[in-house]
Amino acid sequence: MKRLAAIAALASIATATACGGAGTSDSAGGGVYTTIDGSKQINASAPINPFNPVGSVFSGYNGMALAWPKNDPIDPNQFYPALASSWTVAPDRSAVVIHLQPGARWSDGEPVTSDDVRVSIGLAYTQGGTAFALDPKAAGAAADVQVVDAKTIKVTQGANRSATFLSNLLQTVVVPAHVYGRLLPADFWRTLKTAQTGTGAAADQAKSRITGLAEKVIAFAPAHDVSAGPFVLERVNPGAALLRRNPYFFNGRAIAPDKVKLLNYTGNEQIWNYLISGQLDNAPFTSVPTAVMDRIEHASGNHVVKGYSPVSTAMAFDQARKPYDNVHVRRALAYLIDRSQVTRIASPEGGTPAATISGIHAKAARAWLGSSFDALEPYKVDPAKAAAELRAAGMTWRGGRWAMPDGSPWKVRISVPASFSDWVAAAKSISSQLVDHGIDASVVTAADYTLYLSELAAGKYDIGFWLVGLGPSPYNIFQRLFGQANGWQMFGGRLTHVPPGKDGNWMGGPQYVDAGPDGRVDPGALTAKLNFVSPQEQKRIVGVLAGIANRQVPVIQLWDYVNTQFVNTSRYTAFPPDDDQSLRLSSGVWMQLGMIKKRQS
Amino acid sequence: MTVIINPEGVADPKASPAGTRATLRRNFWRGVWRVLRRKPSRMAGVAIIAVFVLMGIVGPLLYPANLPRDDNALYAPPSLAHPLGTDFEGTDVLALIVTGARYVLLTGFATAVITVTVGTAIGLFAGFRRGRWDTLLMRITDVNLAIPGLPLLLVLSTVWKFTGPLQMGLVLGLLGWGGIARAVRSQTLSLRERGFIEAARGLGLPTTHIIGRELLPGMAPYIAMNMLIAVTGAVYAQVGLFFLGVLPFESNNWGVMLNLAVFNGGALTTPAALPYLLAPLMAILLLTLGIVLIVDAMDEIFNPRLREE
Repeated sequence: MKRLAAIAALASIATATACGGAGTSDSAGGGVYTTIDGSKQINASAPINPFNPVGSVFSGYNGMALAWPKNDPIDPNQFYPALASSWTVAPDRSAVVIHLQPGARWSDGEPVTSDDVRVSIGLAYTQGGTAFALDPKAAGAAADVQVVDAKTIKVTQGANRSATFLSNLLQTVVVPAHVYGRLLPADFWRTLKTAQTGTGAAADQAKSRITGLAEKVIAFAPAHDVSAGPFVLERVNPGAALLRRNPYFFNGRAIAPDKVKLLNYTGNEQIWNYLISGQLDNAPFTSVPTAVMDRIEHASGNHVVKGYSPVSTAMAFDQARKPYDNVHVRRALAYLIDRSQVTRIASPEGGTPAATISGIHAKAARAWLGSSFDALEPYKVDPAKAAAELRAAGMTWRGGRWAMPDGSPWKVRISVPASFSDWVAAAKSISSQLVDHGIDASVVTAADYTLYLSELAAGKYDIGFWLVGLGPSPYNIFQRLFGQANGWQMFGGRLTHVPPGKDGNWMGGPQYVDAGPDGRVDPGALTAKLNFVSPQEQKRIVGVLAGIANRQVPVIQLWDYVNTQFVNTSRYTAFPPDDDQSLRLSSGVWMQLGMIKKRQS
Repeated sequence: MTVIINPEGVADPKASPAGTRATLRRNFWRGVWRVLRRKPSRMAGVAIIAVFVLMGIVGPLLYPANLPRDDNALYAPPSLAHPLGTDFEGTDVLALIVTGARYVLLTGFATAVITVTVGTAIGLFAGFRRGRWDTLLMRITDVNLAIPGLPLLLVLSTVWKFTGPLQMGLVLGLLGWGGIARAVRSQTLSLRERGFIEAARGLGLPTTHIIGRELLPGMAPYIAMNMLIAVTGAVYAQVGLFFLGVLPFESNNWGVMLNLAVFNGGALTTPAALPYLLAPLMAILLLTLGIVLIVDAMDEIFNPRLREE
């Protein structure tokens, strides 16, 4: 309550200050706002190009999208305006009309126009992506881009309409046409049309011409930064990137700092040290041990802000391998793992133990399922139930250990990437717990995450750690359980199921499962439907799929992440409060939204 | 009449060969004992290594196969119950150090044996034979010396799981014999021109005899010291690889303990996990110290010029 009152008071001061004529680069005393970019490290030799994965374009600062996604647990189409001031969606989701900010200008004074958005979409086609897939049958792919006027653009969706089209479209990064336009050949849009609507060799050739531009776009290095965001890149070195205020930013009055310094880091330990020394005004989600958290909290001005994070950690089975092909074995393991203890050991500050197994983060699950969430089997630790399940699976108890039905040893191998120390600790805790219950369990590490994912996809692991519940889109949530990793693949708008061990199907689950009162269903097909159906039908399907996840246990959900952020109010105030919908966005976006004000002495 | 008393250490020419060998052995160990006693630090070195060897042999037998955990004492500070504190899941750190010693020592021993065996064999053969064999073997040695060990191990770890200490030792040993081969070859080139080797050749003794009975004993001290030093190199290498997280997870491996103390416990940032970090570091330090002190003693044992009678 006290915090909210303080924020309200500061907000009023901020408004008064804003009315006093701030909003230009000359507003003295704004200071330097210091933070890190949670999505990437600084690369001094990288181009100032948002299409380059390591490019010196930082979202919310000198990188702008049409809109910024809100952290809504169930609706992926909730956005804060950015370069788009508003948008309208046709009732049948066939088209989106986007209206740009009337005062939006680039840092060189040029206005931001519909042509900039069109060029940005063209460049996005070269990189591929859900909304900008070259295959017109792909779900949620844009079919036509039409400039209505200088500040209005209309994007039409292809025939295979998706509920996430708006979301994918609004997250398009916008770049200046007068800088990037030359990357697109003069006949680009004609080529795109051929690729999308043509047939045979001509279409294939057009597609390859467009995808062939990808490397050129990624490598493009503008001589200097031209930004429509609140800041422009001034310089970058291996230790930090420095950005100065963009004098032409359309909402410059909302921006308090004169400069932003993004510090580089090579690991979490550096971020911890920055925080302990009080250097950072904000640090986005960072995994932190309890003892380190205590030190950070004791540093002058530091505060912790917590909010919803639509991600859960789970232990996933290769259901094509014995004995994990038997649901009783998977359930038995679920009954033996103390998720609270695992969370306490692995992610004490950044996670809450999973309430049950549903494939969804508990907060989103409650919003989707309501009271039926409580009806799901909670899988509390119960060795007796576990033993019954193991016996039902035919497992045998020999010499104080559980063995396979044929009496051969049962060795549970839990794979994790070695670089994820929280996962390693969790896997060790799980293996210790299983050993306590007579199961020969151990941890196997992969040298790095890339290798881990490739070995996982190749079906080399019995059990591996896997992120689930990647909301808010319900399709994105359940495709982690009943998507490509489990055999369901979408090609040209057609869903197919490949057998275990083929084309990345490492989860190896059955195509059809018993969904209780809903009968025998194809969970992959239901997941795919989530892209197209009405919100009411989505809710019903989510209920069915959560029930399947709960009964079939393709994964054992371990903990739901908590978005734990750090802010320091010594220099700036008016940070977003706990559970704010902007919490997963960068400080630059917070500034655009009118938050973050210079502390008045 | 002059009575000649057989002085200690001088073999009676009439004594049987077995008796002569026994006398020599007895005299050698007496000499070893004298050298060790001369400096307390050397005795400390022997004691340290004896403790570690004991830990490696009987350590795992002192604890249950699954080390007990205290769920309410995660990263607990040192206490009577846990002299070196506990780890991230409440396991006694001392138990981890003791049970983890076997892997570290076995790897070190395997590495040392392979390094010394391969290095000595190649060095002796190349130096004694000279000519084309020398050229060929030394080029192979150059290649071995030029291989960047750590990067190669990092790459290898992606395709090979190094499931046991002997596998680990084999790889480290095969990567590390180049230096010894070079040094042994140099010594062989020098010794083969000495009179006793010329004499052996002149007597028509076979090459195996000359290498095995004439050349090798002269280099044995040097090789033995290199073997001990190879153990420390192997310990650093394998702990480093485990610390980097590229080798299979073993919670009681000292490198894994260092990794988890730093990255999971924040030991470099807060003191809470410091005992968990310091315990394996101290173990490595003590093991290295023990080896260095013994090498110091060996130097004197085998090098008569250093003896302080």
